[in-house]
Amino acid sequence: MLDKSTRKLFLAALTPALLILILLQGAVVRSQGSPTQSPTMAATLMAYTGPFDGTLLFGIPVALTGSLSNEGNLSREGYELWKEVYNNAGGIMVGGKRYQIVTKYYDDESSAQKSATLAEKLIKEDKVNFLLGPYGTSAVLQVSTVAEKHQIPMIEGGGVAESIFSQGYKYTFLVASPAKSYLLGVIDMALAQTPAPTTVTILSADDPFSVEVADSAKTYAQNKGLKLVYYQKYPSNSTDLRAPLTEAKGKNADLFLNCGHFAESVAIMQQAKELDFLAKAYAFSVGPSLPNFQTTLKANANYVVDGTQWTADLNYNGVDLFKSPQAYHQMYIARWGHGPPYQSASATVSGIAFVQALQAAETIDPHAVRDQIAKLDIMTFYGQVKFDSRGVNIYKPMVVEQWQNGQKVTIWPPDVANGKPLWPAPAWDKR
Amino acid sequence: MDFVQHIINGLLQGSMLALMALGFSLVWGILHIVNLSHAATIMLAAFLTYFLWSGLGLDPLLSLPITMAALFIFGFLLQKYVINFVMKAPPLTTFLLTYGIETLLVSLALRAWTADMRQSKPGYANTSLVIGNLQLPYTQLAGIVVSFGLTLLVYLYLDHTKAGRAIRAVAMDRVAARLMGVNISHIYALTFGIGAALAGAYGALLSTTNAFAPNSFSIYNILAFSIVVLGGLGSIPGVLMGGVTFGLVYEFAGTYLLSQRDVIIFGILILVLVVKPTGLLGREGYGGQ
Repeated sequence: MLDKSTRKLFLAALTPALLILILLQGAVVRSQGSPTQSPTMAATLMAYTGPFDGTLLFGIPVALTGSLSNEGNLSREGYELWKEVYNNAGGIMVGGKRYQIVTKYYDDESSAQKSATLAEKLIKEDKVNFLLGPYGTSAVLQVSTVAEKHQIPMIEGGGVAESIFSQGYKYTFLVASPAKSYLLGVIDMALAQTPAPTTVTILSADDPFSVEVADSAKTYAQNKGLKLVYYQKYPSNSTDLRAPLTEAKGKNADLFLNCGHFAESVAIMQQAKELDFLAKAYAFSVGPSLPNFQTTLKANANYVVDGTQWTADLNYNGVDLFKSPQAYHQMYIARWGHGPPYQSASATVSGIAFVQALQAAETIDPHAVRDQIAKLDIMTFYGQVKFDSRGVNIYKPMVVEQWQNGQKVTIWPPDVANGKPLWPAPAWDKR
Repeated sequence: MDFVQHIINGLLQGSMLALMALGFSLVWGILHIVNLSHAATIMLAAFLTYFLWSGLGLDPLLSLPITMAALFIFGFLLQKYVINFVMKAPPLTTFLLTYGIETLLVSLALRAWTADMRQSKPGYANTSLVIGNLQLPYTQLAGIVVSFGLTLLVYLYLDHTKAGRAIRAVAMDRVAARLMGVNISHIYALTFGIGAALAGAYGALLSTTNAFAPNSFSIYNILAFSIVVLGGLGSIPGVLMGGVTFGLVYEFAGTYLLSQRDVIIFGILILVLVVKPTGLLGREGYGGQ
């Protein structure tokens, strides 16, 4: 029999080993994976089952877990819908050859550094033809350097800070409207209400995207005569904001603006309720457009406003296979069981932009494709897609939406709105 | 400035921070180990509470004893069969070992439970007791009650029970305690277990007040360290004082110095280390007055 000290050593080694085994039971590999198609989808489309002359591999490092996982997973759903619809219609015809779209994902765990590492891996090991964007300005900023170094074009809709595009890079393109326009529509909408707001509070995360949104909103609000009573920046990913919210409450601002991401938007609404902080409207740069915002907050999500890149109520008629926002909305629900927020639409249209550029280039050579992307000017279900000399789509407008009675309603600009703004938000105990 | 509300926020937060630092202080004061796996223990408790709530519908306050018991066993076994090997080693070795345990646990947790954010949301979450103009969130009120209750229990335990007095004796003079018949290694494991149970209590409370993920706990090691340094090693009132001070600083810094909030915390730590390293109320052996 083992002597006492050896037995203890054995036990000491066994305990952590067992612990590791137990915890690994819950481990899931988090790369790629296209879920099986729902039966409705296969029935509604006549799927192309013929042969392809080749495949085009699109690499995507994206936040499937972590603080940006909500937005990241929605982006993935957008990419997958694009791939499936286009493959079912016969893939991409490039110079007379028919290519099948293949996507490969890696989870960057909401870390920008990891996103860049994974992009390198996709290019060097997996030998992807092109990159589709990760979610988040920080990640896109890092990955854009990788794309530029290897001269592989990347089209993205999830990183909208203009600081990405002041680097002089030629291989990264943004299909969405840039950060500075995010909250401007919200301010216009607010100023058109009665009683009009006179004061504004801005609480912003300190990541590059949020800071751009905040600075632009601050300048615009002040130019329009609103008084800025409180403006603070918090370290990115903080979710304990009770102190600044208490302060904002004391300042009695009419309009509360937050520039950040989904995690804080939920935390802010919860903590605002705890502290009985009531603004005439709460507006966020990111968060309310995601279905999870409403399922997490339930009734407390009502009256919240955000600037959005796209809603299903707009009137676009595109050259792509989805054609209209309403049709995209229907196809997305049929595929994924919930409505598409704009993050999904931005992802899908990134893929569409590649298709158009590939068809125009008539070759899969990345440099030629890159040149065609730069020349694109198309109308899609998402709106106009055209890039300025830096690669930014400054041609598509932002709209404003609001949660009303558990539904998202487009409320601004008036010519595309399908509902009226509910203003001001009622007291917490009167809901 | 909504001064009184800020004070309330700071006190609520601070008393919970004191609970967080209490276990760390005990382990440091009695085993002379700066336990860098403290944050991972809090993390495990937060997840356990969350899974008990989301899977079995157990209210986090009701599952608190379960969580504390589970973490006690975890801490007891961890000390007895792993950390015990380095009790006589130089401090750097214990640093490395506890840090390694922390890294291992966080990485495993990330693999098993992903980096998604979780939060327990019992029925009273996000609602507050309203007194005049002041809002006292129920989850934080529960936090302050539990914190003070447990702190008082620990104080009484150390003063009025045989085991508690044995713990204090070991802290004061290891050799003399052994001569008096105290089983040193048993005391070490017991103390570490108690420390883990207290960290576990904090983790359970935290799971209701804030959203969390495996990688959001690293700040607690340095925060616990700072609180114990400020309040003084070996003093339970010191931990309370340190915790409340940091809670208030955290709150007031969050009004107009929000982006430098963490810098201020570390600044205070450095200031205390330079000016009065023994802290404000430090003494030997968690003794009575």
